[in-house]
Amino acid sequence: MILTSLAVFLVAISAGVMGSILGLGGGIILVPVLTLLFGIPMRTAVAASTVSIIATSTGAAVSFLQDRLSNVRVAMWLEMGTATGALTGALVAGYLNQRMLFILFGALLAYSGYSMLNARATERPRRVVPDRISRRLNLGGSYHDQALGQHVEYQVTRSVPGLILMYFSGAAAGLLGIGAGIFKVPAMDQVMGLPFKVSTATSNFMIGVTAASGAVVYFVRGDVDPLVTGPVVLGVLFGALAGARLMVRMKATTIRRLFIPLILYTAIVMIYKGVVRP
Amino acid sequence: MNQAVQPTGETHRIESILARLLRIGSILSAALLGLGIGWMVFSHAAHGRGLILAGLIVLVLTPVMRVVVAALVFARERDWLYVAFCVLVLGALAAGVGLGVVG
Repeated sequence: MILTSLAVFLVAISAGVMGSILGLGGGIILVPVLTLLFGIPMRTAVAASTVSIIATSTGAAVSFLQDRLSNVRVAMWLEMGTATGALTGALVAGYLNQRMLFILFGALLAYSGYSMLNARATERPRRVVPDRISRRLNLGGSYHDQALGQHVEYQVTRSVPGLILMYFSGAAAGLLGIGAGIFKVPAMDQVMGLPFKVSTATSNFMIGVTAASGAVVYFVRGDVDPLVTGPVVLGVLFGALAGARLMVRMKATTIRRLFIPLILYTAIVMIYKGVVRP
Repeated sequence: MNQAVQPTGETHRIESILARLLRIGSILSAALLGLGIGWMVFSHAAHGRGLILAGLIVLVLTPVMRVVVAALVFARERDWLYVAFCVLVLGALAAGVGLGVVG
């Protein structure tokens, strides 16, 4: 019992490190590990994973905010999309063909993975011209990049397409239970033109908010088992604190290389679920 | 009401305030979780379970508080557009909880 808890705790630490560096919730890894390796029931594992998203987000955001890597304004603008998307996605989930959705979102991820692969050597985005909304909302920002040892100023473009993508990212989470951060990072990186580190740090900052309402519901339903969720969340919290400190010193190209296999893996899992079983 | 360009000082202030809030939330939650888990491992007391639950509740409420505090900071800066964004997000979260949505 104590050995199992220790093993769960160690897995949780690595999930926290990975999630905080890549801006993801990590459920795509954590849920299968908890259910298949440790025999924890699905409902308990999903509830623990949802609370862990908040642990990753909160633990890492402290470092990211201090380094100005998380863009609070971009996060508030885009959270409107994720929060309403998650709400409507979950409400219409019963009326849509889930298999088709898995294939559709899986294909979308595969495409972002492919574009990211082509951009893998890009350390900083090319000159981005801010759109009207970006200027009005003052979305651009700057941060000190510890890996490059220089001050990076950046602008934000395609604010409305970004918001629409966040709506679908939230809807995917509500419809399929997958995708806390995996859609957000490419939307900010490839569509809105944010630097990669700002994209993962801002995604990380956002995922805690959308997960909060789901977590409350799991609490009310009694799916949160303190004996499982407690050690998992504590491990993820420690992992996220450490991971965020590592991330601020990492180069964008390194983080991107870590992100690409995970986005491709998630795409395969989603397409598999759509084709083989719902 | 909302100027095109705001002084960067405002953004820096909100980041420091939110960083402090999130630090308090994560430290408090980690302390409660650690105490609770330690208590359960060493003496099997039911108190451990309560402490763990308290730690989890603190953690779950932290991001919600983050949106509330962001709304208050934006309101103090008279940045009403961003106040509206925060209120909309809070409304969607509340509706999600009310309808039992787990997205």
